[in-house]
Amino acid sequence: MKDTRRTRVVVGSLLATALLLITLDHRSGDSPVLGPIRGVAAGAFGAAERAAASVTEPVGSFFQALAGASSAQRKIAELSAENGRLRGELTAQRLDRQRSAQLNGMLGLAGRGGYRIVPAQVIARRSAPGFEDAVEIDAGARDGIRAEMTVLNADGLVGRVVRAEQHTATVVLLSDPASSAGARLEGGNELGVVNGLGQNGSAGRFLRFRLLDSSAPLTVGHRIVSFGSMRDTPYVAGVPVGVIERVEATPGELTRTAYARPFADLTSLDVVGVVVKAPTRAPRDSVLPGGRPDPKPLKPVPSV
Amino acid sequence: MARNLGTAALIFAALVVQMTVINRMGFSVTPDLVLLVVIALATLRGETAGAVIGFLAGLAADLTPPTDHVLGQYALVMCLTGYLAGRWAARVPLLSVAACAVGAPALAVGVGSLLGDPGVDWSTFMAIWPGTAVCNLLAAPIVVWAVRGLFRPARSRDVLIMGRRRP
Repeated sequence: MKDTRRTRVVVGSLLATALLLITLDHRSGDSPVLGPIRGVAAGAFGAAERAAASVTEPVGSFFQALAGASSAQRKIAELSAENGRLRGELTAQRLDRQRSAQLNGMLGLAGRGGYRIVPAQVIARRSAPGFEDAVEIDAGARDGIRAEMTVLNADGLVGRVVRAEQHTATVVLLSDPASSAGARLEGGNELGVVNGLGQNGSAGRFLRFRLLDSSAPLTVGHRIVSFGSMRDTPYVAGVPVGVIERVEATPGELTRTAYARPFADLTSLDVVGVVVKAPTRAPRDSVLPGGRPDPKPLKPVPSV
Repeated sequence: MARNLGTAALIFAALVVQMTVINRMGFSVTPDLVLLVVIALATLRGETAGAVIGFLAGLAADLTPPTDHVLGQYALVMCLTGYLAGRWAARVPLLSVAACAVGAPALAVGVGSLLGDPGVDWSTFMAIWPGTAVCNLLAAPIVVWAVRGLFRPARSRDVLIMGRRRP
């Protein structure tokens, strides 16, 4: 190599620039310097992603079906009988009809809870390159979406909006390792925190639930709803989150840890809704699947 | 000039395809198309160009929505990857592509954990790296072949022993 010296200067200055950018971004967030750059880039890439998503939708859904079939061998064995019945329906169903069912379910959930939502469709997803679980949706500030709003779908809580551009918005999913949401066990008033596990939780199939009271009963099958945040940002109250699948024995710890399967399938999201207005009164457990539950929970919680 | 514009367009297309198609297929591990394109371009054009292309592609990957990490993280990783891929390509082209495709995800996890990215630690490395490395290795020949077809080497000195030599 004859120009090793020049190469070293170029590489060194590029690496220094990268470190400078990291430092700037780390310290200032949406600063006046980097904020507009992010905005312009998000506009350009967002437009391209919206165009590409509309073209590649059938391809993506085909592979999604393929991936779902291959990863759930155990489940397929269990549900093969039901699958046979459903397959006939599925093949007959058009993609649009499927989407309309999702939208209907979501609107039903929103109606039961009293949320006012803006429906949107997922157009892009980040898993590589990156360690964050985030998706891009095709609704933005023009549709009334702001940062720190709750996102849900027909089945339950999905995540929160972190950035809203004109026509698109970025949603960080519940399974992202950086996200944590207040949650409540159904029936009782036991509070806890739901954390994402990222790739450690087999890519969004499990969430970690920490129950703050270590003496409260916590068993498999308990369902969790969101607890809500102050002024309903970023999470509104009463959205179904998931069902406890595994309780970890943590003797001597201040909190109890359990792993929950989210109601919303965070690995293959399509139609989602952004809650632009929270209900005036928290809907408590009434939004959990199966309608309004009977007064006593699955496992009776001893009253204090 | 036309070549540089073509390179930029290729990276833009790779980013959009990665975000809208590959990542949405629902597989838990996916090949990193942008990284493979950077490696392929670096083996064609040498270490300096590889570093510059890697830096710019990484910056674009940092800026493409949806994003929730600090700006510059992937610029750093891909700049180093592009430089190393270009540097080793002169002597061991095949090995260079393979080493960079396998090593870059590990480097990304390392940089992420050094920068304090939440939830990036040793268990993340064990969960992500083997699958991603195998995926990248499988996808690398296809991407390198496609990129070499698009950008045939300008001088015969740059022709690598891998792939078909063009007249």
